[in-house]
Formats: sequence, C-alpha cells, structure tokens
Amino acid sequence: MVKLIQQFVSCCRASGLRVSTSEVLDSLNQLQLIDPTDELQFRSLLRANLAKSMRDVQHFDRLYHLFFHEMRMDVGDMRQAALHSDQIKKAAEILKQMPHDNPIYDAVVEFLEGNPLALLHEMRRIRTEAEAEATMLRFNLGPLGNRLNMMIQINKAASAAGALVEENYTKTDSAAGRDLAVYFQERVAAARSMLMYEPRPGDTGTKITPTEEQRLKGLGEKSFSSFTRAEVEEMREAIDKLVRKLKNIVSRRYAVRNRGSIDVKKTLRASAKYNGVPVEIKYRHKAKRKSRIVTLCDVSGSVWAAARFMLNLLYSLQDCFDKVNSFVFIDHLSEVTSIFEEHEISKAIGMVLKESDVNYNASTDYGETLRNFKKDYMELLTKKTTLIIVGDGRTNYMNPEDAILGQMRERCRRVIWLNPEQENLWDTGDSEIKSYMQHCHEVRQCRNINQLFTFIEELVL
Amino acid sequence: MDYDSVADVQSRLTKAGFIPSKEIATVVFLAAATQKPVLVEGPAGVGKTELAKAIARSLDWELIRLQCYEGLDEAKALYEWEYAKQLLYTQMVKDRLNDIISSASTLTQAVDQIAAQEDAFFSDRFIQHRPLLQAISSEQPVVLLIDEVDKSDPEFEAFLLELLSDFQVSIPELGTRKAIHIPFVVLTSNNYRDMSDALKRRCVHLYIDYPARDTEISIVRLKIPGIEEKLCNALVDAIRKIRTLDLKKSPSISETLDWAQSLIALQINELTPEVISETLNIVCKYKIDMEKVRKNIDRILP
Repeated sequence: MVKLIQQFVSCCRASGLRVSTSEVLDSLNQLQLIDPTDELQFRSLLRANLAKSMRDVQHFDRLYHLFFHEMRMDVGDMRQAALHSDQIKKAAEILKQMPHDNPIYDAVVEFLEGNPLALLHEMRRIRTEAEAEATMLRFNLGPLGNRLNMMIQINKAASAAGALVEENYTKTDSAAGRDLAVYFQERVAAARSMLMYEPRPGDTGTKITPTEEQRLKGLGEKSFSSFTRAEVEEMREAIDKLVRKLKNIVSRRYAVRNRGSIDVKKTLRASAKYNGVPVEIKYRHKAKRKSRIVTLCDVSGSVWAAARFMLNLLYSLQDCFDKVNSFVFIDHLSEVTSIFEEHEISKAIGMVLKESDVNYNASTDYGETLRNFKKDYMELLTKKTTLIIVGDGRTNYMNPEDAILGQMRERCRRVIWLNPEQENLWDTGDSEIKSYMQHCHEVRQCRNINQLFTFIEELVL
Repeated sequence: MDYDSVADVQSRLTKAGFIPSKEIATVVFLAAATQKPVLVEGPAGVGKTELAKAIARSLDWELIRLQCYEGLDEAKALYEWEYAKQLLYTQMVKDRLNDIISSASTLTQAVDQIAAQEDAFFSDRFIQHRPLLQAISSEQPVVLLIDEVDKSDPEFEAFLLELLSDFQVSIPELGTRKAIHIPFVVLTSNNYRDMSDALKRRCVHLYIDYPARDTEISIVRLKIPGIEEKLCNALVDAIRKIRTLDLKKSPSISETLDWAQSLIALQINELTPEVISETLNIVCKYKIDMEKVRKNIDRILP
C-alpha cells in the first residue's frame, strides 16, 4: 500500500500538484484509521490530504481516475494481467530498442508499459512552457507544435506496438495476442485523451465575476491613440468606478489606522491636564504617509491622449495625495495646477488645451522644458515628492538636458517616466528615452488603460 | 476523540441536522481522529459554516466563532489588555500604592517594591478574551470556527499558523498559554484569495460542492418538514437545472431552502412558470441572472 501511494504521489508531483512529504506521511497515518477497501473513503482521504485548494481538486480527480482506474486492471483482470505482464515488458523493451531520437517517445513507451510518470511530466512541461512562450512571441503556434510532436510520438509508438503484436503473435497464440493488442489500444487511447485534455480552472462554483474588468476588457487593451469620442466617455465612467474602489481601499486603511496599542507617552502627557489622572487614553496610530505628486505632461499629439487620462485619474484621487502640481509642455513649461483646482475635472482637461499658454504648432523641446522647471519650480521637489513625467522622449534632435533630470532626481523621492510609445520604438530616431532612463527610478510603458490603472494603483496603495 | 467511525460521524451529523456526504463524513472523522484543523472550501451557501455548527451540536461542544475581515488583528482575535480598566484601578488604589512604598528609603527601593506587585495589574482580570484565547483556555472542549479566513490579511494568516500547529499562544506579560483541550478547528474559505501553502499543509482539505439530487431533497425535507414530496422533488430539479445555466451566482442549498420556505408561506403546491418567475428574486441575486432564467424557463420546467 505504501508503495502504491508513493507511486501515486510521484505522479501527482510530475503533473504539477505540490505535495509535501508531511502530507504523504499524514495520509499514510490516516489510512490506518479508515477502511481502505471502501473506495469513497479512500479517495476522500487522499483528496483531503493531497489536493489542498479548490483549483487542485479537479486536477486531482483526473489523476486519481487515471492512476487507479485506467492504469490499473480491475481485480478480476489482475490475474490475467500478471500473465501478460512479462509479455508487455518484453514488448516494451523491443519498442524501446527501436531507433528513435525523441525523449517523448520513451515517455510514451513507458506509459504503454504502465508507468505514467514520464508522460505526465512531459505533458506538464509542454503546458507550462507553452505559457512562457506565448507571452513572449504572442502567437500560439509554439504549444500547438509541441502537442503535435507528442501526438506524432504517440502514433509512432502505437503503430510500432501494433506491428510488433501482429508480427509475434498472430500466427502462434491468437488469444494472448489479441489481449495484448487490446491492452495496447486502450493505453494509446488513454494517452490520446490525456493529450486532448485541457486543464480548466476548477473554481467555477465560486467564481466572482470581475464585472469591472469584464467591461473594461475591450477598452483596457486598446491603445489611447485609437479611442473614439464615445469610448472616451465610456472610459470616464469606468475611471469613476475605479476611483471609487481605490478610495474605499484607502479609507479602510485609515479606519484600521486608529486601532493599536496604547501610547504611554501620549497618555501621560494628556493626563497632565487632569492633575495626573489619565482620563484620555491615547492610542498609537499607524501614521499613513501621503505623498506629493508633481506631473510633467507632454501635450503634443498622441502623448496627450495618455496624459489626459492620467491627469483625470490623478485629480480624481486628489484626497489620497497631499498635493498634486501639474505642468504641461510642448516647447516650454506652463503650470496648470490652478485650472485643475478651480474647475471640475472633465472641464479642466478641456481648458488645459485652450487656456494655458502652450504653443501647439511648436515642436516638442524637452531640454527647454527642463531648464524652465529648474529655473522656477525646483523648490516643489522635496523628499516627499513623486515626479511623474508623461512623454515619448522625442526631442526633435535638440539638447535633451538629461543632466537636469538627474538634479531633479536628487531632490525628490521617486522619478517615474510613463512612455505611451511602444517599447520597441524606444530609442529609435530622435527618441532620447534611454538617456533619460538612467535618471529615472522607473520607466514604464503606458499605452492603454490597464497599464495606467496598474500604475495608479501602485502609486496610491 | 469522540467519533468512533465514519459511519458514526454520518449518523451523528444527520441527527444534528446536517446531512453529510460520505466524503464530508470521512474528512471530519479523519480531522477529529488526528486533531487537525479542517479547511473547508466551496461555493457560498453550500453549508460550510453550518457544518461547523453541526459538528459542535453533534459533539455537544460549545461553538466559538471568529469572523475574519480585512484588518482583523491580534487585538481583535486573540486578546487585548483593558487599558482603561488598568488605569482606573491604578487611580483607585493609589493610596495603597503609597502605603507600599512608604517604607522605602530610596527611589530604587520604591520601584522594586512596586515591581513586586506588578502581577496585580497584568493578570487575567485585565485581559479581554477574544475568540482565539477563549477557545484555547476553555475548560471544556470547543469547536472553533474561523469563518472566511480568506478575507483576513496575510499577516493574520501567519499568526494563525502558530496557533494551529501548537495550539498555544504567548502573552508576553503572562507567559505561554497552552490549550487545555485541543479544539476542533474549522476554517472556511470562499476562495477570495489563495491561502498560503504553510497553512494548507497543516489542515485537512475539504471541498464541499453542490449536493447530489437525493442529498439535496433529504436536506430540504429535513429543514422544512412541512413540504410535500412532489413539490420538493420538482423544486430541487428546477434548482439543479438553474445551476446548469451560466449564472453570475448559482443558487446553492441556502437558496433552495429559502425558496421552499417562501413557497410554503405563499401556500403554493405546484411549480408553474408563473410561480417561478414571481418568486425568482429569492433564487437569483442579480438582475441579469433573473432575466436569463426567465428566458430559459421552458428548459427548467419539464
């Protein structure tokens, strides 16, 4: 029994379930307490110990079925199987000797022999590798190719086995030969069904539908520059919802802040008022740091689309920050903080374009902008400030003045550059993003709402 | 512990008003026999909390419940010093304090003399027992239900680990408290987030799904004795069909029971499309779901 459990556990591990030694020990100990011949009890025991999350349960059930039903003969067949096991082994030996150059073939033959370990391992490798590759290459031929390869190997082993059986047994002992053929056919079918099986997340019962995300899914991945007017409106609604959610989280943290242990120092100090009687009890607060934000937004062309949404989000979340100062620039800097403070957000965003003294026909000049900032606003940057720059870093071949950005970095807590350009276009042509990059704590791509949302979330929380 | 066998668990839980499947009974039996906590997962409303209550009833133990939420900390879960009471007492016994230190000639001596008395202020008298400490220091064995543990913060989960593996807590001023009786611990989770591997490793895992048809029928008949057999069968069949629709929130046992209860209150003996669509707001909790069910109503009724 111990050996059987061990085999099963190693199969579980090979196909990606995480099973620790102590869990195996537990289940072996518990086996003494129940009646292992009652399959329901036996299965519940293994399931309770080996599959420890809802997602794993489905996976476990499949493995259990494979291991204890498909791979084992029923008790009645056992005698017969013992009769054949020599022949099966011999046949597998011969199959292994056949010329081949693929490790998957070995795994398949082992599976035919009755040991699913290697095949499970290979399948898992394909699945996990497939995920890693898919994100890099952005097309799903890789995993498909891998599966095809495995199918070819299974077919190869199947036909080899079939040929072998026919060759050796049809003439001499037909009954045994037929049994063996049936056995191999069953195994091959099992292997194929394993290959076809798609692991599905097993938490359907409790899935909480992320309504927000679903609604945003379409728009979320779309790049800013390709929004239509109607979509901008819809986006605004979505932003409102997200803002409410974030504010809730933040306020909850403020609520928690006031619970804590007693602050003896403060209590004693307060007691001085009442002749040393501690009437008021002071608790230790977990102070929450609020940061100051300074944003510099390039408002030329396509960058404006990204900057607009970012300003919208930032000002909606103004309560979460100490102070937000914002500047827009094309060829020189102009401060727009007051516009946002005096007007409602969506109106303010419209006004930025009309009322600030930005020359829209000029070409972007990052150097001049940074010089302006250094001259007039350097004192805004303190150790509490986070500086956010939104821009593509295209300087039109003018002096980038990246040294000034270095000086700015020294004065503030963090410098974050959001670039709405595709990453593979960075540092091509007149893009100076690489020379700015060395002065930033973080440079991230910010092409769509989802990226913006993750950024803002990290900023606030 | 108190159960003899899996069958014993099954019969005693049934007697306590909870009809367990064989799997549930096995896991409960194993957990009781090995004194390990049970981590129960499953969709909302399949009776995870009810299971803990039934265990408590069947063993005739007290049930101590700790509801988890974001921001739950040790002070709310384990114990808290009653500062106000301590300070008040200090004020009230000020004269006695003066007596104690009156014999002291130096300040050091006075401090020493007060220090000798400090037990008086850090004693059980000034401790507020929260559920976890209650469960550990109880004279009688108890069932400890830690509800919706997935809602708590990861830090709290780490703190639970110590408790669940050794069944002891340390209170710095008083020393370590060891459990007199090891409580039967039930943790429930809605998969709001994944629990850490360390916690999972210490627990026996139980996944409760929607029950099989016969089990559900007997549950309804047990909880609502007045229901007619025909209505009960039709009701359970309808619910099971509704579950196959792709709904935002599938109805679970608690919805089945609510529905049965309300049909009885309305004195309805037969399920018709009109009845279903009038009472649908008990079964479905979202407007979209209701519309979907109404659209598929001919599929639900045979």
